Amino acid sequence: MDIQAYISSGKLELFVLGDLNETEQQEVLSMAKKYPEIQKEIAEIEAAMFAFDQASGPEPSPAVKNKIFASLDAERESEGTSDEYLEKEVKLYPAANPWKPFAVAASLTAVIAIGAAAYFGYRYYEAEERVLLALEQNASLAENLQRTEFRLDQLDADTKQLLSGNFDRVPMKGEGLPMQEDARVDVFWDRESQEVFLSVNQLASLDENSDYQLWAIGEDGPVGIGLVDSEARLNLQSMQAAGEAQAFAITIEPKGGSESPTLEKLVVLGEVS
Amino acid sequence: MEEQDLIKGLQVSDRQVQEYLYEKYSRALYGIIRRIIFDQELAEEVFHDAFLKITKKIGSYDESKGRLYTWMANICRNAAIDKTRSKEFSKSSKTNTIDDYVYGMESESGTAATVDGIGVRELMEDLNEEQRLVMECIYFKGYTHTEVAEAHAIPLGTVKSRVRSALQVLKKKADKI
Repeated sequence: MDIQAYISSGKLELFVLGDLNETEQQEVLSMAKKYPEIQKEIAEIEAAMFAFDQASGPEPSPAVKNKIFASLDAERESEGTSDEYLEKEVKLYPAANPWKPFAVAASLTAVIAIGAAAYFGYRYYEAEERVLLALEQNASLAENLQRTEFRLDQLDADTKQLLSGNFDRVPMKGEGLPMQEDARVDVFWDRESQEVFLSVNQLASLDENSDYQLWAIGEDGPVGIGLVDSEARLNLQSMQAAGEAQAFAITIEPKGGSESPTLEKLVVLGEVS
Repeated sequence: MEEQDLIKGLQVSDRQVQEYLYEKYSRALYGIIRRIIFDQELAEEVFHDAFLKITKKIGSYDESKGRLYTWMANICRNAAIDKTRSKEFSKSSKTNTIDDYVYGMESESGTAATVDGIGVRELMEDLNEEQRLVMECIYFKGYTHTEVAEAHAIPLGTVKSRVRSALQVLKKKADKI
């Protein structure tokens, strides 16, 4: 590095004049650090410029000096008193209306609280309604379940009955009889165990004072083997035992049944095959 | 007062130190501004603002980057240049050549330029035409050396070496003052 060439390039003068960009400035500064000659040259240029500036111009007027120091004094004063001034300012507002910020805060809180209450109230109402609905549904489901379980037990029992025994199916019909043309009732009869079951397929409802009664008709005439529930359709109804029968029949009898059948009121009849 | 004490005093805005700074440097700093802005009132206004800026921004002065005076001189020069580029300035007389400046100043105050020094004309008289041109543009009007090189179609290196040679002459002259 030719230090002398660097010095005489004119760069240092421009540096002192502030006429270099940031990169060039950094370069000159690091060169000055490295080489005392450059540092010395810069100092000389600075001194020369100061001497030149000092010699070249007129004095600023005393008015400028007064103005400058008035400005500086004013700044000093405002710095010194600014804290005090600020404190006064701060105190002034709450003193004039001490309740105001609280009132504002309180009313704001109230509005928010009312809003929240309405919202949660509505939510609670909604939730409660849903719970009630759910309980209702739950109850009806439980009822359904109970009914289903009961019916399942019944069907289970019926099925076991039918499967375990040796039952003959005896269809009884109302066809050709004066009472109910479309009436149909089936009798299931196990000759060995003498068990009798009955399933109503179609049978008209009766008034309160009458009952259907099932008869097993054998060699010794008809024997009443129980009252029939006309409403329990397609359910096995357990009847009294029948030891011997050629036919089964149902008649309408006064409430509670009769000793012997009222043949005028014969509803269905089925012969054992 | 040592420069470091001066800086410390300025940092706590000590009035006595500020006054010392003013006594020592106001003439030179004002001289920089006045060279760029001929109008006295406007120049003093810029000087006022620049001096306040110096006292306020003293915290950002970095000793490793040059002497305090150089830093202050750049603030004043930039303040003056900014003013010449403002709208306010373009309305007033902008075209002050070095001769306007030298004669204007002398005719204006008659004595001010020479009371304590030798005056701009005398300082400049040892410079040749080429040196005077670059000094006028860069030192007096605040143009950058690249602007001067472009405006006058002079190679950049030449501008630099002319700045240097002009300052060499001024340095010798200043030594004699």
